[in-house]
Parts: sequence; structure tokens; C-alpha cells
Amino acid sequence: MDASLFVKFLPAFGLAALHTMELSMLALAGGLLLGFAMNAMRETGPRWLKPVYWFYTGVWRGVPFLVHLFISYFGLTAIGLTLDPFEAATLALVLYGGAYFSEIFRACWQSIPVGQVEAASAMGLSRRQIFTRIQAPQALRMSVPLIANQTIILVKESSIASIITYPELTFTTTKIVSETYVYIEPYLMLALSYWLLTLTISRVGRAVNRALSP
Amino acid sequence: MLASGLLDRLTGYVPFLFQGALVTLSLSTGAILIGFALGSLFLAVSEKYGQEGVRLTPMQNVAGFFVSVYVSFFRGTPLLVQLLMLFYLPAAFNINVPPFPAAIVAMGLNSAAFQCEILRAGLSAVSPGQLEAADAFGIPKKFIFRFIQLPQITRAVWPAVVSEAIDVLKSSAVVSVIAVTELTRTGRQIVAGNYRPLEVYISMGCIYLLMTGAIFLIGTWAGNRLTHRSNASSQIVQGLPGRLS
Amino acid sequence: MNQSVIIPMVSVRNVGKRFGAMQALADINLDVAAGEVVSLIGPSGSGKTTLLRCMNFLEAYDEGEVSIRGALLGYRNTANGTRERESERGIAEVRARVAMVFQQFNLWPHMTSLANVMAPLTLAKGMKPEQARQIANAALDRVGMSDKADSLPAKLSGGQQQRVGIARALAVSPEVLLLDEPTSALDPELVEEVLEVIQSLSGDGMTMVMVTHEMSFAAEVSDRIVFMEKGRIVTVGTPQDIIYQPVHPRLKSFLQPWIRRSLDGKAIGMESPSPRFNDQIIKEYNNVD
Repeated sequence: MDASLFVKFLPAFGLAALHTMELSMLALAGGLLLGFAMNAMRETGPRWLKPVYWFYTGVWRGVPFLVHLFISYFGLTAIGLTLDPFEAATLALVLYGGAYFSEIFRACWQSIPVGQVEAASAMGLSRRQIFTRIQAPQALRMSVPLIANQTIILVKESSIASIITYPELTFTTTKIVSETYVYIEPYLMLALSYWLLTLTISRVGRAVNRALSP
Repeated sequence: MLASGLLDRLTGYVPFLFQGALVTLSLSTGAILIGFALGSLFLAVSEKYGQEGVRLTPMQNVAGFFVSVYVSFFRGTPLLVQLLMLFYLPAAFNINVPPFPAAIVAMGLNSAAFQCEILRAGLSAVSPGQLEAADAFGIPKKFIFRFIQLPQITRAVWPAVVSEAIDVLKSSAVVSVIAVTELTRTGRQIVAGNYRPLEVYISMGCIYLLMTGAIFLIGTWAGNRLTHRSNASSQIVQGLPGRLS
Repeated sequence: MNQSVIIPMVSVRNVGKRFGAMQALADINLDVAAGEVVSLIGPSGSGKTTLLRCMNFLEAYDEGEVSIRGALLGYRNTANGTRERESERGIAEVRARVAMVFQQFNLWPHMTSLANVMAPLTLAKGMKPEQARQIANAALDRVGMSDKADSLPAKLSGGQQQRVGIARALAVSPEVLLLDEPTSALDPELVEEVLEVIQSLSGDGMTMVMVTHEMSFAAEVSDRIVFMEKGRIVTVGTPQDIIYQPVHPRLKSFLQPWIRRSLDGKAIGMESPSPRFNDQIIKEYNNVD
């Protein structure tokens, strides 16, 4: 094994890691917003919107991310929407993550004892007030470990964007391998990069959880 | 006009998609079984590792450490990366790995890490007091496992197991990159021929939905049957077909 | 041969036990005769539960010997005079003669009461289900839980669960019954039903060793009471010597929290969820201070 290669490939890996993180963090932010909105709609919105929630979370979680990605990158051209790899990957991952975040928020909202909601309702609080003042603070705190876990999943799924040539870690590695015919060092660096990323996210998640605990 | 054309096209290629789906199912089944076998093995050797106040033999320490590193690695890196490493790295040593086995092994090794932890969580579903009572009454370890731990662990882990099965099936799409003709690769090939990505990929998505939905429904039904309240009791009370001792 | 020595049911000789640096038991000597009821009392950390658990080898004692009707428990004497740990099977054989009732009941939650009582018979003693079922039903009847034979533990109150636990212990026809704070986990109103069952068992001549905080009950039902502190036996005596008219100074201060007093300081009874057991106390304690 040639240690100097690690140094040689480092800049490329650094850039690739940035792309991975860019995609993942956008998916995290977008997915959280989308998930929160979907859950809020389910909790406080009109009855007839509920099937929309179930359709979205059911379909988007029941199909592999690669399929979502292909539809986003190749499929949308059929209706006139052509996206570059970054745009397609981001769109697909935001929607994919959003479905999972919706379910995470739903689980946390529903684990707040019904008695609290009933008591608030009996005291005359509106649905919206109950949502924001009673449920949200507790549910959001509860959701942190689940969100951290889902973020790790999103980072791992981002590797699939390599298949549509988005220049994140995995694509960069396969490119280096095909250009230099060196196998071991690049793949080692690839595995270690993801491992480091996911371990860091775990750490951060635990720290946030501790900070929020009373 | 458009609709009849669509139907014709679909009847043309959907059968091929279903053939791909069969490959997907066989990949997934193999991977889940490998994952379960390996995962239980890993759990068995690392059961006591990491518990407080427990003295371990050097062998147990080594095994426990290995399992924790294994689990961390396989859960902390993407399946695609594991697959590429398994498929391409041996080429550096002039070993050619056939795609289908590489796919099952990679998926299986990956699932083993997750199933190990699922089962580990299930162990704590049985309170230590119960095990102590069983011990105190002289019940042999094999019966403690079979009649006291197993029924409760099964009930506790079943939802997570069904969930993992669904995840394995979805993850199988990724093996299309090493030329295994499962559902996704078949879809790609069809699109390369008819230039209708939206139509084909949505159909593909529907078939995946069918499969994951079926796993969920069958899994939930099977779970209810397996963990039916009276099972453990009736085995003790009416006696099993065979002998107990 | 003239057998003039009656072997005690439980024999504890010079037993010691360490947990790391802490000496949990030291110089424990105690014999329990057949049919005797012995209670172990003392503050937390006194080692009374540890001692009880040495009697069925749930705790492995480090020094001394514990024997059940003469059979050494947990260890085997080797040829060259030392001793080694007994095999699982050997331990199980002796444990088959000693049954335990647990503070947290420790019923198996996925099985009915009947299955819980039958399990040790079919799984540990290899009994056929028909025979085991008969014995189990009799045991459930003995504790008054026949009508709940097909109920799961979750559907039973704490007192009912503990009574099933007692039935489970009785079903194996033990020579010794060990009770580890059998009522400590129960709500006060449920304690009486369990104490009544235990009392009727003592009436039947069952050898029992019980760790308890129910002082007045211990006084009522025990033949002897052992007071322990910091891993040692401080004093042993009849209920008269230990509870009703305690002489030992440490014993007196230990029992203080249990004494209920009237406004002018006169002892009027002992803390107990069960008023029945107070009469004797009221009679005795007013003679003391």
C-alpha cells in the first residue's frame, strides 16, 4: 500500500466530500421542512388532505431511492423538465427524506400522551395552539435522535447519486480508479470518508440531544 | 388512442420487468437469510460484551470488539461502497468475482450488521428476573431459550425484522451497477430501447411498491400468527408432540 | 448404627462472600431445622438477601459451606482435598429441592398462570404434562388462584401474581421454601392476602427462610428470627427475644421506625399493612418501654 497516494488523492476527496455534504445537508434542510409541513398538515389540516399524507409517505418510502433518482434525472425530461445531476439528486433526495421525516414527526407527535391534548382542548386552546405550544416542544426534542439517524441514512443514500454522475465521493472514487488503475487506496479512503462522516453525525446528534435534555 | 398505445407498450415490456423482479426477490431472500444467520452468530459471540460488571474471557473480548467494529463499519458506510469494494478490489489481486454472488454477499454482510443489533435489542425484552427464576427452578438453558426467551424476543423484534426485510429489498436496486439483471437494471435496459423513461420507471416503481407492500402485509400477518398469545402456554400445558426431556 | 444427629434442612457453616472489595457476608453460621420458619431481618446492605440467595446458589459464596439436607451446594470436593465448582447439572439437582419466591414475582409474562406453575415441572423435572397439570392445579388451588389459571400475569394484581409465584414454588414440592421480601413490591392493600397464604404454609410444616420487612408478620409466623447488619449475624432469637422484647441495643434502634406510638409516646403497635398482626405487638410492647 502506498501512503503517498493518500496525500495525492486528498484534494479530490475533499472536494467530493463537500459535494456529498452539500447534497446531504440540502436534503436534510429541505426534507425537515417538508416533513414538518406534511405532519402539521396531517395534524391540523382538513380531513380530506390526510390521504395525501399517506400516499406521499407510503409511495416515497416503498420505492428504492435509485428509482426516484432515475425518474428525477431521466424521467422528468418526458414532461419537459431537464435537470442536471445536482438538481435531480437534490430534488429526489429532498422528497425521499421528507417522507421519512414526516413519519418521524408523526411518531413523535403521537407519542405525546393523549391526556395532554385533551386537557389543552378542554381549556379552550385551538388545534394550532395545541400543536405549537403543547406538542411541538416535546415532540421536537424527542425527534432529535431519530433525525440524526435519518441524516446518516441520507448521507449513505447520497452515494447513489454517483450513478447519475453527480461528483460526490463515490463517483469521484470510481473515476480515480478508472483513470489510475489504483484500487486499494481510493476505496479505502472512500470507506473511511463515509465512516468518518457518519460517526461525526452520530456524535453531533448525541451532543444536541444532551444539550436539549432538561 | 394514447391509452391503447400505452397498454400495448406495457404488455410488451412489463413481463420482462416481472422477470427482473423475480431476480430482485431471490437476491433479497438470500441476503436476508445470510444476514439472519450471520447476525445471530455475531450476537451470540458478543452477547455479554459491553455489559457492566461482567468479566469476559480474552476470546469474548476479541469477538465482542470485532463485532462492534463490523457493525459500525457496515452500518456507517453505504451499501454501494461495500458492493463496489467486494466486486472490484479482488480484481487488484487478479480474482474475478461473479456479479450475482457478489451482490448477495454484499447485501447479506450489510444486513447482518443491522440484524445483529435488532436481535440484540430483542434480548433486553426479557427481564433478567425472569431468567433468574428459570435458573432457580433448575430449568436447563436450552429450554430457557426455547420457551422463555425466544417467544418474547420474537414478539419484540418482529416489526423491526419486517422493516429490515423491506430495506433489503429496496437496497437491491443498487446492485444494478454491477450488471446483475434485477428489476432496476431490466428497467434501464428497456428504457435504452424505447426511450420512455418516465413510463418505464414509474411502472418499475409500482412493482417495487407491490413487493414492499406484500412484505409488509405478509410480515404483519405472520407476526400475528407467530406471537399468538396462547402459543407458549399451550406448548407447556398440553405438551409438545415430542418429548421435552 | 445409631443416628443420633438429625441433619438440619439447611446448614450454613462459616460462609463468607465478597463483591469485589466489599465483604457482603462474613462468618455466617446458621442451621434451619425441618419444618422451621426462620426470618432474616436487618437494614439494607446487611446481607440478608445475599445470604438467602446463597441457599439456592443464585449467589456463589466464597468461603464456608451451604448444605441442603446434608448435600453440599454449589461445590464438589475434589480428590486432593480442595474443592471446585459444581457442574450446572449438579447445582440444578440440589436446586430442585429448594424453591424461591421473588420480590418482583418474576412470572413469565407470555404464559398463563397454569403454564407458569407447570413449567418447572415439565421443563426442569421432566414430568409428563398430565401429571404436571394435576399438581399445578392443586398448587393454584392451595393459594386460592384456581379461577385465574388461564389468565396472563398482566391481567392479575400484584398480590395475585405473587400468589401464583408461591404456587409455582409449591408445585415442585420443595424441601425448603425461600422467600425474598415477598410483599415488598405490593401495594399495602394486597399484602394481607399473600401473608395469609404464607402463614397457612407454615401451618402445614413447610421449612421456610424468609427475608422480610414485615416485622409484626415475622414475629407472628417465625420460629426464629435472625438480625443481620453489615454482612454479619448480630443476634438470633425467638420472636419474643427479637421483636416483642428486644434486648440487643442495635436491634432496638433498628426497630424504632416500625413502632407506632400514641401522642404521649406509648407504643401502641407496629407498622404493618395488616392490622391482624398488631394485637400481639400491642400486648407485648406496652410491657417494654
